[in-house]
Amino acid sequence: MQKFANPAQFLKLAKAALPFLWAITALLFAVGLYGALVTSPPDYQQGETVRIMYVHVPAASLALMIYVAMAIFSAVAIIFRHPLADAAAKTAAPIGAVYCFLALATGSLWGKPMWGTWWVWDARLTSMFVLMLLYLGYMAIWQSIEEPTRAAAIARIVAIVGVINVPIVKFSVNWWNTLHQPASILKMGGPSIDTSMLWPLLTMMAAFGFLFLGLQLTSMRSEIAMRKLRQARLLEIGNR
Amino acid sequence: MDFSAAHSGFVIVSYGLVALALFGLIGFVFWRDRKLVIQLQRLNESAKT
Amino acid sequence: MTQQSIRALINRDIALARAQGGGLGAALGFILAVMVLVPLALGPDQALLQRLAPGMMWLALLLSVLLTADRMFQQDYEDGSLDVMLMGHLPFELVTLTKAIAHWLTVSLPLAIITPPLGLLLNIDTAQLPILWLSMILGSLALSLLASIGGAVTAGLRRGGLLVSLLILPLYVPVLIFGVAASTANLGPNSSTPALIMLSALTLMSLVVAPWASAAALRAYLR
Repeated sequence: MQKFANPAQFLKLAKAALPFLWAITALLFAVGLYGALVTSPPDYQQGETVRIMYVHVPAASLALMIYVAMAIFSAVAIIFRHPLADAAAKTAAPIGAVYCFLALATGSLWGKPMWGTWWVWDARLTSMFVLMLLYLGYMAIWQSIEEPTRAAAIARIVAIVGVINVPIVKFSVNWWNTLHQPASILKMGGPSIDTSMLWPLLTMMAAFGFLFLGLQLTSMRSEIAMRKLRQARLLEIGNR
Repeated sequence: MDFSAAHSGFVIVSYGLVALALFGLIGFVFWRDRKLVIQLQRLNESAKT
Repeated sequence: MTQQSIRALINRDIALARAQGGGLGAALGFILAVMVLVPLALGPDQALLQRLAPGMMWLALLLSVLLTADRMFQQDYEDGSLDVMLMGHLPFELVTLTKAIAHWLTVSLPLAIITPPLGLLLNIDTAQLPILWLSMILGSLALSLLASIGGAVTAGLRRGGLLVSLLILPLYVPVLIFGVAASTANLGPNSSTPALIMLSALTLMSLVVAPWASAAALRAYLR
């Protein structure tokens, strides 16, 4: 980790890694989509709509993982004062937010034919919705506070407090639902998913994951460039 | 996939939305990166001169 | 020495709140608005009103505390008092905790006490009143503590209103869920105890997390 502390080192690493990351991403999506749309079977009960699972579940899992990563980056920023940790959290947020939005949208599109309703306030959906709010709040902090060090300091807190909140929300809504709707437990595809469905699902999850990595490294490169430009501009103003 | 099956529209819209969003995201990230790298290059050049 | 300082801080905030009318006035106005407008909005069905009453009242309590959140630290930040407190001998986390408690004493607790009787406007089942009172009073401290996080994070921002709501809303969701559950549970075969225990757990967690988070956020603004 110390190696990446130097932005120049990081940029060198990113430059080397990115082509591979993009290639792997493209391959994973190609294989995953083929599995999702062609080779995997329609569900006994849900029919073709089960195919939405292959985009919904990866988007949702990754949206959650990315937020956790943001909280970890923020903790690293606080504890170790790693210079790139804040940038990593900042750049990960929009990607996670898009994934989260896709999870909500595809979930809604999956829910309508499956449960007959566009939305329901069960534990999973509610915590996803809260996650969306957390992403928006985090990004709003970076937007609202001009001074970058100050914005970073505040954003770290928002990320960490947010990550604590997500499991609590999930737990509380779960509890609430078991109290009030003991009959309807919304399962995904059954407890044991068939192999013909599992491998496309895992492939798509990996695809979304590698896409995140590629976008993240590129975004960090942009962020480092933005910082240099900002410093240069400030110097210029100071020198006048 | 059987496109004539019931509710296949939902599947199509889902995948379409995902494609739109992801390509949009990729496009945005690349465009921003290009723009900043060019700006940085210009800055380095003007610093050397 | 520490105890005296804490007491002094609380008294200061109470005196300020009393002098300025503070958030309590606006919050009270909001609660009244909700209690009057909800029955009119929902229609004359008394049974429906009764069923919705606890939820609506918790909603009113929550939103009115939220209304007062962004001003919790703003004044002291703007006039420099926070700088003084930061450099004082009290650990800053204790300062933010004390401010949250002062907010609770001047805003959330009064609201929690006043709101349940207003439930009569919503045709609330009077058998529910004691447990509603208990759960609201119990939850009100958590509401103030969580609001202090939002208030601290937006202390230096001009138009922090939307951001405050965006940040605090996710934190309020569990409190709302367990609060309403505690208030309604005695209607059925379930007792309120599990929900009340969860509410207490949330309050204890907020007591730990909120002062730390608020202090860290304010430090960023005061540097």
